[in-house]
Amino acid sequence: MLDIRNLQTHYGRSHIIQGIDLSVAAGEVFGIFGRNGVGKTTLLKTVAGWVKPTGGEIAFNGARIDGLQPHRIARQGVGFVPEDRRIFPGLTVEENLTLGFLQVPGRTGAANRAALARVYERFPRLAERSGQLGTTLSCVEQQMLAMARVMVGEPKLLLIDEPSEGLAPMIVADLYAIIAGLRAAGCTILLVEQNLGEALKFCDRFIAMERGCVVLSGKADSQGDRDALIESIAV
Amino acid sequence: MSEAAQYFQFVLAPQMLIGLVLGVAVILVALGLTIIFGLLDVINMSHGEFYALGAFVALALSTIGLPFWLLLLLVPLIMLPVGYIVERGLIQRVFHSGDRHVRTLLLTFGLGLVMEDAFRLVFGPNPHRPETPIAGGVEALGIFLPSYRLFLIIVGTAIIAAVAFVVYRTRLGAMVRAAAFDRDMAASLGVPVQHVYAGAFAFGVALAGLAGVLLAPIYSVFPTMGRDFILMAFTVVIVGGMGSITGVVVAGLLLTQIQAIVSLYISPVWSDPIVFGIMVVMLMVRPQGLFGRLGHG
Repeated sequence: MLDIRNLQTHYGRSHIIQGIDLSVAAGEVFGIFGRNGVGKTTLLKTVAGWVKPTGGEIAFNGARIDGLQPHRIARQGVGFVPEDRRIFPGLTVEENLTLGFLQVPGRTGAANRAALARVYERFPRLAERSGQLGTTLSCVEQQMLAMARVMVGEPKLLLIDEPSEGLAPMIVADLYAIIAGLRAAGCTILLVEQNLGEALKFCDRFIAMERGCVVLSGKADSQGDRDALIESIAV
Repeated sequence: MSEAAQYFQFVLAPQMLIGLVLGVAVILVALGLTIIFGLLDVINMSHGEFYALGAFVALALSTIGLPFWLLLLLVPLIMLPVGYIVERGLIQRVFHSGDRHVRTLLLTFGLGLVMEDAFRLVFGPNPHRPETPIAGGVEALGIFLPSYRLFLIIVGTAIIAAVAFVVYRTRLGAMVRAAAFDRDMAASLGVPVQHVYAGAFAFGVALAGLAGVLLAPIYSVFPTMGRDFILMAFTVVIVGGMGSITGVVVAGLLLTQIQAIVSLYISPVWSDPIVFGIMVVMLMVRPQGLFGRLGHG
């Protein structure tokens, strides 16, 4: 579904992503791990179109998406939930959610309403607070909203960056229950996370990054690969 | 009738009405300015010239016999593609540079100068006074008001309410506010941000053009008309909070009433220095203005 070949990304003269190769299959949950500042978030931002790559290729379902504007990438079915949630102030929960309709511009009003109803069914707390300003929600509810407004567009691939960032451990379990639900529904997920313990329960495969490169790749159900990952990140 | 009531009816109320007409006029011009700033973070120094362009286009079309009422619809529609092209063709070329604020400010300042000279070359330096579309006046509670000024207050209020409704109560408005606050996130939800930016700029320009048509019968049409009016519009936008529609309305009404009252009790000569002084004080003590920015909660 997602094929990344020799991806290069720069911020000015800083070489952040230094030749990454990656393939994610449909229905897979793929983890990207590594310490702070190794380029994990930049990798997701590059796939989402927030940062233009300076080299290499990104193909989604066989079509090149590198260099496309972010809204065109979103309309191809790539949803992005960024690290800091980025809920729009001054917009209600429902306004935040209905913005997500634009990911599927040709969809009818009835189909949009049905998609919204499905999202409310998955996130009942958002339905209860639909008229409330998004920024007045609790942290976990804001994280739900950040995911839900992308899910309204029913993306084929979901990029999720540090979903547990700043959340209490008990709430993180709730959050991962939601991600498990998405996985069970067949959503393909590219997940960046510091919280290895929780994330590895839901990943099929993973990579570890160091200084913009992949230094390790493995399967989440292999104890050897997991040990190598923990060792790689702990060093 | 008591002396106080007579004073109110014959002295204070007419002066406040003059202030109200000016207030609505200034708000109409400032609305587009504040939307463009709130969304694009661009201080459009040519906004006054777009206001003048609307008036000149109306003037030109009226010479071929088009009625004023049709021009009220037609001129904003003509201004929309003009604004769209200016945003895509000029603003976007410097928008992504490091010193965006300075470059866009200088670019729009230069554009304004070019437009002003073009008006002078095409229409001449002298003022043109379009015929007042509604003659006569009305008297309510003993206060006389020319009919066209009453029309301006009503139509202006309706336009301001419609703009606020679109921005704050529609999905299109939510899209604009989202793009104003977080361009990248809005884009990742499928919002075509570049077109939203160009559309909002065009909308602001169309509003300026509409203000030009509406105000021409009162303030006349001449090449520097934009420069004269835009100073007050900028003051209103700064005092109200750059990018805030509520701020524009509140500051527009407040400052023009202050001007009117100062003219009555001190001297008309002092009305501008006092209003601009309020802007300076506001920039010193509360630079964000009375209200926040569009899309910033």
